[in-house]
Amino acid sequence: MRGNAWRFAAALIAFAVLARLPVGLDAGFQFDAALAVIWAFGILSLVLLYGYAGQVSLCQATFAGVGAYGAGMTVASLHGGYLLGIVVGVLFATVLGVLVGLPALRLHGITLAMVTLGIALVFDKYVFQDHLFDWFTGGAAGWQVSSASLLGISVDSSKHLLASYDVLLALFLVCAVLMLNLHSSGAGRRFRAIRDSELAASTMGVNLTRYKLLAFAMSAGMAGLGGSFYPLVAGSVSPQPFWVFTSLQLAAIGVLMGVRYVPAAALGGFFMAVVPDVLTRYGHGTFLNRAYEISFDWFQIAVGVLLVLQLILLPDGVWGDLRSHAARIRGALRFKRAGEVTAA
Amino acid sequence: MSAFAAYTIIGLSLGGIFALAALGIVLIYRVTGVLNFAHGAMGMFSTFVAWQVFYGYPHPGMPSWEVTAEAILAGLGFAVVLGLFLELAVFRWVRNRPQITKAVITIGVLLTLQSAASLIWKNNQYHLPIYIAPQTSTFMLAGVPIGANYIVIVVAALGLAFGLAAFLRGTAFGRAMRAVSDNPTTAALWGVRVDAVGAVSWVLGSVIAAIAGILITPFINFDTTSLTLLVVDSLAAALIGGLVSLPLTVLGGFVLGLLETYPTIWIQSLGLPRLIALLVILAVLIVRSPRGLPGVAK
Repeated sequence: MRGNAWRFAAALIAFAVLARLPVGLDAGFQFDAALAVIWAFGILSLVLLYGYAGQVSLCQATFAGVGAYGAGMTVASLHGGYLLGIVVGVLFATVLGVLVGLPALRLHGITLAMVTLGIALVFDKYVFQDHLFDWFTGGAAGWQVSSASLLGISVDSSKHLLASYDVLLALFLVCAVLMLNLHSSGAGRRFRAIRDSELAASTMGVNLTRYKLLAFAMSAGMAGLGGSFYPLVAGSVSPQPFWVFTSLQLAAIGVLMGVRYVPAAALGGFFMAVVPDVLTRYGHGTFLNRAYEISFDWFQIAVGVLLVLQLILLPDGVWGDLRSHAARIRGALRFKRAGEVTAA
Repeated sequence: MSAFAAYTIIGLSLGGIFALAALGIVLIYRVTGVLNFAHGAMGMFSTFVAWQVFYGYPHPGMPSWEVTAEAILAGLGFAVVLGLFLELAVFRWVRNRPQITKAVITIGVLLTLQSAASLIWKNNQYHLPIYIAPQTSTFMLAGVPIGANYIVIVVAALGLAFGLAAFLRGTAFGRAMRAVSDNPTTAALWGVRVDAVGAVSWVLGSVIAAIAGILITPFINFDTTSLTLLVVDSLAAALIGGLVSLPLTVLGGFVLGLLETYPTIWIQSLGLPRLIALLVILAVLIVRSPRGLPGVAK
């Protein structure tokens, strides 16, 4: 219980600090801030699915995209309120998560990676782009969301971008605390047992079918929750943000930051949304009389190279490495203090 | 009827490409245990190098077959360097890591190669092909004209599959590769140079990917992403071969090519072939027990 209180206090402080950050910045950076939380949801969903339950997925952006299109469809085509849109988006993503989880009952590791990559590609090139699914995707134009309110607060992208950022941030922090609590709960222990050895877990009486499907449903729902805010934040939905390379980037950045740890999701979301924009904004000029320009491609090259280096050198990711350093320093300090006590 | 024959030819040549790319995936997977998601990206980069040599520079007074040969040699030469570099700089250091870690590393390689290529060649669609045979030469087969470039693909796929199989069975080095694929530790104890075997399989795989990429240029508008994503179809073909059998992999490539082509007689949809590839992957993985695939760890 004491740990819980600390976590909620930390979340409140984080909210107070992070909500202030984009205030006063231009609309571009405010959009980045909101997008960072959306991708942080995507990476948090991967922490649950891959970090906790050990199920590889290369289609987390697809879940977010289904959430985005579900919300867009509800608001723009069915004229529902945005709250309903979020519910529909999360519901669609969760259903897709269970459907993806069904083949996963028989698959592990690389075979699951192949299937989820195939699913990401099918949604990118077929479902999000084919005329057959125009009722869901709004055709080539996509859905436009110009004004919307959540429980009486105006949160549309044109004038109230920061309001939707605050709502997103609050939801993310709630999910993050729930994820931390999940880690040591009964379900969390079963997830980790499945990750370490499915055979051992089922021998110990863990219902593999139920808990694998639960992991996929919760993960997809979480990615969909972030995605369902996308039409609000961007004003419209298109296939491009949720294409197969975004899914690959989410997996790459999640693993890079430390896919077993919740704070890595926040770190990864910030990295994925803000760093490329800063690079393209300020990364041009002249150096030694030669003009240079840093484009988004440089960011993706950096992600790829960092991922390869990290997996060779620091297999636990950036956050995992920081944690083990912190633990070593704490241990050394405690040792020193204990020495002082005995000397006195 | 003639439409059906025409689609069969397109399907078979598309299948030949899948088969070629899948051969490289199977070779690397069997010998080094790395499921290479970057296979399409490797082929893509080599293809663009060949394309650059073919169209990027003036070749005054050179006969066209010489330009073609120069472009292909440049592409394949780059593929050799790339394969060797990946083995020496990356995969040699992670040989004893879990299979999934190595697969995630290939995703890093994929992202790096794709964005490096998009930095150099931008996100344009290219449709200037590298023709192996002259574009105009055709054969008549049962009253249907077939472009020579289609035949080149099918022959290359079959030839490489049987050549590779003969190499693995008939030569000392091929036997060493099979020994490493069965058990690296035992092979090393018997005096097989595991490092050399790994390097050769990465180079061979990379070259095969480059051949597939160069051969596909006459048939599609290609860009840095479409060639990279060809890896999904190739994985489907490789799965039909169970990730081991070279002849079954080639057969799988042809079957997948036909399956993806026939529906386009009735339905014009760019995304539908991807759905078919996914269904093939699911069908193979669910019908076969995953434990039926060699080396797929629990």
